[in-house]
Amino acid sequence: MFDEMYSDDAQIRKHYLQVNSWLRTMSSTVISQKNFEAESHFKRIGITFSVKDDDMTERIIPFDLIPRILTNYEWAKIEKGVLQRAKALNAFLHDTYNSGEIFKAGVIPKEIVYKKSSYDQSMINFSPPRKIYSPIIGVDLVRTGKDEFYVLEDNCRTPSGVSYMLENREIMMKMFPDLFHTNRVLRVDDYPTRLLQTLMSLAPKKCDSSIPTVVLLTPGHLNSAYYEHTFLSDQMGIEMVESQDLFVENDLLYMKTVDGPKKIDVVYRRIDDEFLDPLCYNPDSVIGVPGITQVYKTGGVNICSAPGAGIADDKAIYIFVPEMIKFYLGETPILDNVETWRCERDDELTYVLENIEKLVVKEVDGSGGYGMLIGPKSTKDQISEFSTKLKSNPRGYIAQPTLDLSSSPTLIDNEVSGRRVDLRPFCLVGEKVQLCPGGLTRVALNKGSYVVNSSQGGGVKDTWVLAD
Amino acid sequence: MLSRTAENLYWISRYMERAETMARLLDVGYRMSLFPNPKGYHNEWDSVLSAAGAAQGYFTKYNEINQENVEDYIFFDEENPSSVYSCISKARNNALLVRTAFTPEAWVAINKSYKEILELKNKKFTRADLPNFTEWTIQQVNMFRGSANSLLRNDGYHFIFLGTFIERADNSARLLDVKYFVLLPTADYIGGNLDNLQWIILLRSLSSFRAFRWAYDGDVTSTKIAHFFILNNDCSRSLSFCINNIVYHLNCLKCSPDKISDIYSGLKSVHSSVKDETVESIIEYGLHEYVTNFVSKISFLDNQIQNHFFR
Repeated sequence: MFDEMYSDDAQIRKHYLQVNSWLRTMSSTVISQKNFEAESHFKRIGITFSVKDDDMTERIIPFDLIPRILTNYEWAKIEKGVLQRAKALNAFLHDTYNSGEIFKAGVIPKEIVYKKSSYDQSMINFSPPRKIYSPIIGVDLVRTGKDEFYVLEDNCRTPSGVSYMLENREIMMKMFPDLFHTNRVLRVDDYPTRLLQTLMSLAPKKCDSSIPTVVLLTPGHLNSAYYEHTFLSDQMGIEMVESQDLFVENDLLYMKTVDGPKKIDVVYRRIDDEFLDPLCYNPDSVIGVPGITQVYKTGGVNICSAPGAGIADDKAIYIFVPEMIKFYLGETPILDNVETWRCERDDELTYVLENIEKLVVKEVDGSGGYGMLIGPKSTKDQISEFSTKLKSNPRGYIAQPTLDLSSSPTLIDNEVSGRRVDLRPFCLVGEKVQLCPGGLTRVALNKGSYVVNSSQGGGVKDTWVLAD
Repeated sequence: MLSRTAENLYWISRYMERAETMARLLDVGYRMSLFPNPKGYHNEWDSVLSAAGAAQGYFTKYNEINQENVEDYIFFDEENPSSVYSCISKARNNALLVRTAFTPEAWVAINKSYKEILELKNKKFTRADLPNFTEWTIQQVNMFRGSANSLLRNDGYHFIFLGTFIERADNSARLLDVKYFVLLPTADYIGGNLDNLQWIILLRSLSSFRAFRWAYDGDVTSTKIAHFFILNNDCSRSLSFCINNIVYHLNCLKCSPDKISDIYSGLKSVHSSVKDETVESIIEYGLHEYVTNFVSKISFLDNQIQNHFFR
């Protein structure tokens, strides 16, 4: 197992030296007190996981005080790799909904795409501004060795978690300002500015103003990411709207303001495709805007991300991302995919069934750490049960080796102990393609666990990228 | 600014203002209950309930008036839409919907009040706690008003204060209406001096007991008290003060010119009822009639604001 802080000969890695000596100066009393401080801060600002009326159910994600540190050298590779991937994914989306060159060339079998529910037929032959479908891509990375980073999955729809990246940094700077004097940590607080610039650079053709009007569309305060919606719109200084604030007239989208109707150019939507427009998708949607799709198709507004962008982060498509990079960019992939077996192929299914106790088997349409089997952590009964499901619907599953996720020093009961982590940086694709130096580090707080999802005992850490 | 946001801001401050009025009313009732009951007068809890506009709701739930029930009904009862608890909880829900129009300070102020009143509500209280509850409520509302000062001076800020003064004008007028008879010239014969409990009730419920003494030296008459509550521009709860502030905040709205002209007639009529009158003319017209008329003008203006800005 790769340890982020200790090298193989039990020496502290250079970039963790300062943090290590800082850790030694903190008594367990101070640690408890700082933990309490951080927790109360998160509760008070309301960065809760699920904002419900009944207060008892508001939860906060556990925050670990020890930052996860990446050197500039490590980051350089991640950055190049993520940018490359983001470009290829957008190129793939444009190709998929237009001429389909990659299918004609036989690189990706087209049935895989056309049969997916995330494939949106209404997007055929439509090209969004700058041919960008997915302006915000969250790439989930895991590390298994010094130079070994793997992409676990891409999130091309509306990846969440960026508010944690920003709030975790704020609380660290507030509680431990000295740490930031002794370490040169690259700033992340300009992310909202960069996000707004990205969205503005994606204004539709009917936008006649040099400063496009951007709004964030939220499903409402019952959504689990509502805090993030309010946080981002507040930081960007744009209106956070709900469907009841919007209406369509003469193929343009407006919001109801105290000054009367105001035209909207770009909608950063945080609702799913299915609910966007009851006239085009789910007719029962009450959180969507009737007619918005028509405005979109006629260039009156841009919807970010584009409807149908989800096809690019499908688990079955994921396998082909390295091929996309070669096909569209003519480059060698910088970040590797995790080796993946597609159970729909007979030979691969046989391999998976024979080696299932060593593998992780995932539902193609599953997410959030649910609907998966971690072979080495499962009982015989669970394995045989899963094998039966696999045999009856091989198309619905993929399998991957159990990765030995890197471990990062974490405070457990006020003692430092290694826990496994992943990393989600957020890539912005607009006029510029850019990556904010940081991201969301999730940590599996249960000893030995591989599952970092907050719904299943995961916590978060501040993520540092050092300037030198 | 989104219409929905403006509407939520307007109501947040109305609810907070109402919470304060309710708490002050209870405090008056509490003080009165500590004094010997003057002969010939109704139980003071009775007039507290009617001033709070809660009499009808109270009697569908309770058969008789007693302090504990009135306190519970006006402070904590979820079934009473104007209880302090209902007001704070509605204000907090509205705040949740417009967090982007709020500074973190303003949100924290409301969220904290809500969390605390949830705790207070679940604890059993004793009679002696009541002054603490009142004090607590006033503190919360002050914290909210103070935090509103951290806001950008945009339309949102002005909608918050529009809500505050519309609500206060309405509350002050209703209070006056409940007690208007003690300000009639003949009332001088009933009590004869400032020890008149009814006058004290009125002054205390508008949190102006001391202010009145500073503002009007020497001679205390019902006419002066009426002037204080209706026409005095220095009294922060007088009808006139509220109207001046409503006019000010409406004029500050960046979106205003066209819309203001739409609601100009409503504004003008309510403005003239404090500008063109004297205490003598009001009393001659009939204090009760004047106040009733004022309440309906405020409600008309409120409707116009809501229709023009929020729909």
